Amino acid sequence: MAKAFSIEDGNLQNKPITTTIVRINKDIDCSFTPNPTTGDIYKATDANAVRQSVKNLLMTEKGSMPFRPYYGAGLESILFSLSTDLDEDDIEERVRSTINNYEPRADLREVKVSIKPDYNSADITVIFGVVNTTKIVTLGLTIARAR
Amino acid sequence: MTINTSDLDFYDIKSKLKTYFRNSGEFEDYDFDASGLSNILDVLAYNTHINGLTANMSINESFLSTSQLRSSVVSHAESLGYSPKSITAARAIVDVSITIPSSAPNTFTLARGTSFFASIDETNYEFFTTENYSAVNDGDTFTFTGVTLVEGKNKLKTFLADSNIDVPYVIPDSTIDTSTMLVNVFPNGTTDQSNAYLDIKRVATITDDSRVYMVRESHNGDYEIIFGDGNVLGIRPETGNVIKVEYIATNGAAANGAKLFTLNEFGETDYVIDVTTTSNSAGGSDIETLQSIKLNAPLAYSAQNRLVTADDYTGLILSSYGAYVNDVTTWGGNDNVPPQYGKVFVSLNFLDGVDDSSKTMVEDMIKSQLTSNLSIMSIDTEFVEPQYTYLELQTFFNIDPIKNTTTPEALQTQVDELIQSYMSVNLNQFNSVFRRSNLLSDIDSFSSVILNSRMDVKVQQLINITQLVADLEEAQAAAGIPFNPYIEQDYTLNFPVILSAPDKDEFVVTTTVFKSDGLNVLVKNELGSTRLQLVDLNGVVRIPNIGSYDPAKGEVFLSALRVDKAGYVGEGIKVSATPANQSTISPLRNYIFTLDSEASTTKGTVDSGVTKVLL
Repeated sequence: MAKAFSIEDGNLQNKPITTTIVRINKDIDCSFTPNPTTGDIYKATDANAVRQSVKNLLMTEKGSMPFRPYYGAGLESILFSLSTDLDEDDIEERVRSTINNYEPRADLREVKVSIKPDYNSADITVIFGVVNTTKIVTLGLTIARAR
Repeated sequence: MTINTSDLDFYDIKSKLKTYFRNSGEFEDYDFDASGLSNILDVLAYNTHINGLTANMSINESFLSTSQLRSSVVSHAESLGYSPKSITAARAIVDVSITIPSSAPNTFTLARGTSFFASIDETNYEFFTTENYSAVNDGDTFTFTGVTLVEGKNKLKTFLADSNIDVPYVIPDSTIDTSTMLVNVFPNGTTDQSNAYLDIKRVATITDDSRVYMVRESHNGDYEIIFGDGNVLGIRPETGNVIKVEYIATNGAAANGAKLFTLNEFGETDYVIDVTTTSNSAGGSDIETLQSIKLNAPLAYSAQNRLVTADDYTGLILSSYGAYVNDVTTWGGNDNVPPQYGKVFVSLNFLDGVDDSSKTMVEDMIKSQLTSNLSIMSIDTEFVEPQYTYLELQTFFNIDPIKNTTTPEALQTQVDELIQSYMSVNLNQFNSVFRRSNLLSDIDSFSSVILNSRMDVKVQQLINITQLVADLEEAQAAAGIPFNPYIEQDYTLNFPVILSAPDKDEFVVTTTVFKSDGLNVLVKNELGSTRLQLVDLNGVVRIPNIGSYDPAKGEVFLSALRVDKAGYVGEGIKVSATPANQSTISPLRNYIFTLDSEASTTKGTVDSGVTKVLL
């Protein structure tokens, strides 16, 4: 007599069920601009969400997050150190380690840093791919002292 | 959707918020730390965390038992009518002899405030007299006996009174011993005439013209003096009056134990000064701890400054003489053995370093200041020494050879230390019960290497032969009776537990070895009998009936036991007995259980875990 087993109990006669989950990056847009039609704030999606996330991460100072003293890139503190104390490689290393540690959706390709001591500023360009997509994002940041 | 925010932990709260978003489907990026949504969740969780923490702390600080801030605990204690004790100065008693070789006056005064110095652990402490002592010339020598020295410095604070402002007068000094405060109010700044004000705690009746003050610890640790309201609670100093507060600022408990005092006041002269210590410095204590306040405040409240129940005695004695006394137990004469009606028995467990004269002083003060005034009439107070009963613990444990990374001996030492620590924390106080399973549980959980443990327990009391011999020889010397090389008398030992019934295989009562008529002997009960026998080390019975023991009463009686004055170990003979219930050993009245480390053993055995087919 034929017996019927469940899939969990090893019924190999049934074909395996394969499914995929389409995951869309969906975040609040940090500009907090309201949609004129609905009144809700806009959402940042796909590569834009990851781009916004990387920017948030790099602009967060270490120690500013509650209970997470090592979270953030600590770029702000660079502005208040002597230009001879660190070089572009130091900043690049900070950016790389921060993104690798805290943003798994960013596949880091390149980091370019240009320090401008005369202007008390540094230009940082981060190029990364968004994981599971073909999109490449270029994020440019300039950190400079306000006064 | 309900968000549970009862958690206090930041990550738990954030996790709850994430769960909400996970179920809603509106956003996806809440799990990524750098996302905007995660940042907003951080703010929300932090806010909830702070609110929860504040609410939790507020509720905790609202009750005496859970409050953590000293200001809260003190405030709760005050609402129960209890004033936490300030730091207290150590006191010593000395005899001083001063010889003045030339031009000695007829009388000589050791003035109030005369400084003495003593060194404790290479730190110098200043002591001084708090009153004048006078002596007459006796061959150019002046002898002052019973001079009380107090550790610290005398300080003076002067306030200008303003009766229009209802504010306390603040003394910002955490080293103040409030029991030494002298408060005098002068009509103005030019006269020497003053009115003394008394601490309200020392005044029995208060009227509108009573001169009293209250002193309290403020929320920031300063002390505040408050005067009456001018109507019901006594006189309030008038505007323009000058209030002078004298007090002793002290180092507290650190100055306890000083044995040698030097008087440097007359260093420039050719005086010959000799200071003999009668009583070492004692009674100094630090400011009352939060734990102590939490314990004493409810007891003081229930006592209502009256001595009626046993707890009243405990509460008032501890709150008044906690600088000297570690623990107190009290029982009525009707509960005593034998009963003595019309008496209350008090046993005081003094702190280490309190000498005999200080003990007598404290007992006298308890009688004169507490029991004479506050107890029921016709009830006398009798002090009884604490009775120490030692526990002998034979501990055995099995060791897992696979997990073990050390030697059995090293593990035995660690278990020994654990046992001593347990006994130190849980016993050595009145009414402290020994529970064997609790200790075994601690041993089992001490290390995963220990597989199981067991323990044999015996109670033990000491016949202090050294002390008995000293007392006897002193009496015999006074009476002119020649000394014997032995001491012979009856001994009755009362154990605070029911003893085991006679057994046919195991001895219930045994003693340590001592010499009797030059022979090494010990006392054991006859197997299967309550009769005690004197036995030599070969097991030969020398005296078949030297006494007996009563299991139900816990009493061991030795009749006309002759002990040579030499030949015992330590201070005397240890009498050990097996209790009927080794699992729980509860003390009676003034008994205190403590561990006899010398008579206790610990043995670890490697357990290979091999099962056997035959025994």
